[in-house]
Amino acid sequence: MLTIERDLRRFRQIVRGRIRDNLRKYVTHGEMIGRKGRDLVSIPVPQLDVPHFRFGDNGAGGVGQGDGEEGQPIGKGGNPQQGHGPAGSDPGSGHLLEVELSLDELAEILGEELELPRIEPRGEAAIVQQKAKYNSIRQTGPESLRHFKRTYLRALRRQISTGVYEPDDPRVVPIKADKQYRSWNTIEHPQVNAAVIYMMDVSGSMTDEQKEIVRTEAFWLDTWLASQYQGIETRYIIHDAVAKEVDEHTFYHTRESGGTRISSAYKVAAQLIEQQLPPSEWNLYCFQFSDGDNWGEDNEEAFRILGDKLLPSVNLFCYGQVESPYGSGEFLGHLQNHFGEEHDSLILSEIADKEAIYDSIKHFLGKGR
Amino acid sequence: MNLHTALDRQLVNLESTGQAGLATALDGPRRLTCELADLNALAVSLHRLELATTELATADAARLERIGQSLAARLTYLMEPIRPIEIDAVACTVQLRSNPPQRDDDGRTYYELLVRRGGSISLTRFRKQNQNVRQQVTATITREVLLRLVADLESALD
Repeated sequence: MLTIERDLRRFRQIVRGRIRDNLRKYVTHGEMIGRKGRDLVSIPVPQLDVPHFRFGDNGAGGVGQGDGEEGQPIGKGGNPQQGHGPAGSDPGSGHLLEVELSLDELAEILGEELELPRIEPRGEAAIVQQKAKYNSIRQTGPESLRHFKRTYLRALRRQISTGVYEPDDPRVVPIKADKQYRSWNTIEHPQVNAAVIYMMDVSGSMTDEQKEIVRTEAFWLDTWLASQYQGIETRYIIHDAVAKEVDEHTFYHTRESGGTRISSAYKVAAQLIEQQLPPSEWNLYCFQFSDGDNWGEDNEEAFRILGDKLLPSVNLFCYGQVESPYGSGEFLGHLQNHFGEEHDSLILSEIADKEAIYDSIKHFLGKGR
Repeated sequence: MNLHTALDRQLVNLESTGQAGLATALDGPRRLTCELADLNALAVSLHRLELATTELATADAARLERIGQSLAARLTYLMEPIRPIEIDAVACTVQLRSNPPQRDDDGRTYYELLVRRGGSISLTRFRKQNQNVRQQVTATITREVLLRLVADLESALD
């Protein structure tokens, strides 16, 4: 048993090493997103050498048999036979070994590989979560919660003290007064919570390729943040010229033909924070993705909302400019010019293609905020 | 005199002076402005082409969208298909671009047409070189194509 556990531990170390070695590939291709379960992801590890049995000589040939002379080399027994048909010319398809990894393990590998600092939550743990903890005993309760050991001991004690117990016939029969039941106490557990607001431009110039980049990057951002906080609330906002809050599926699968007004998304995000996610209770993270082709006259309004309402409320505001078939727009440059270095919670990243996702994640999460 | 005929005469005049520059033409409420970087007997190098008109002063998004679709159907000779990309109902503007843009080893180049309420139809060309920011560049087209383009802008408004 111990050997198996040791082997399993060693196997998991090898798997983690392989995943770490190929993390950039996994991040870039996003192939594990579709394999995400509730708490586990299934990862194909093609390069892993799986131990396997090999056929031996099975006793053929050997020493001390036959008519050999002294000093004659010993060869394999049997006569080699001619095979049928030529050797194959195509490479083998290879075997993909799928290993399951918890999201926490995946986040740990991501953190180690990208050298991400652990996040220091802002402010106090203001949210109190109530939990039922089964840590007491009562005389009444449902039979499903009966504490058998305590009930038995109590019955035994009673039988011994009343002289009913017979060591030669050690039957212990609990009566109603002996029965003990597990019970719970409600405890208040202070919890540091985080909320993530994703905003995406779904205007006509954003293609499916750009959305796939956003989806891949969001998966890794989610994985890391979820490993850093006990509870994560995720909200999604899409916009073209107007913005609205949507569910996750709509977020990734909507395409509109409207113009691009980034201020509309900022407005909805600011309302969401004001009405549902007060910064005093939540560590807030905003991730916005666009191709940067904002309609020129909208920039000032966007900067006003960002500077006055969003940046003072959030731990991080990350803007990822995803390059569209028409190149990257000017919004990132305008943001840089407008806000400069004065807000260290504002992080900007240009994502030219899938290969750039890895560095972008590192850039976004590298501050440990 | 319609705009493309007037522009043709302007081009002849500019060519005789040997200097490129601004070519303009008027036809009722329509004013054509053609900013030329260079021209010769065969072709022009164009910074920007704009047809401004009060006919679009109160146009709604649906009308602008129809004009955009009409332009997309007509402009089939620019070597790149032109398609409506974004229709902004708030600002009443329709954006058309080459779809797909022209790609080469060094980057991408595309036309952009904006149909705005107010109003105007404008055409510019952009280039996005790899690792560089997007820049407006000149569009080189034959004089024949330029005149046909102007005629199609007029037709899309009718």
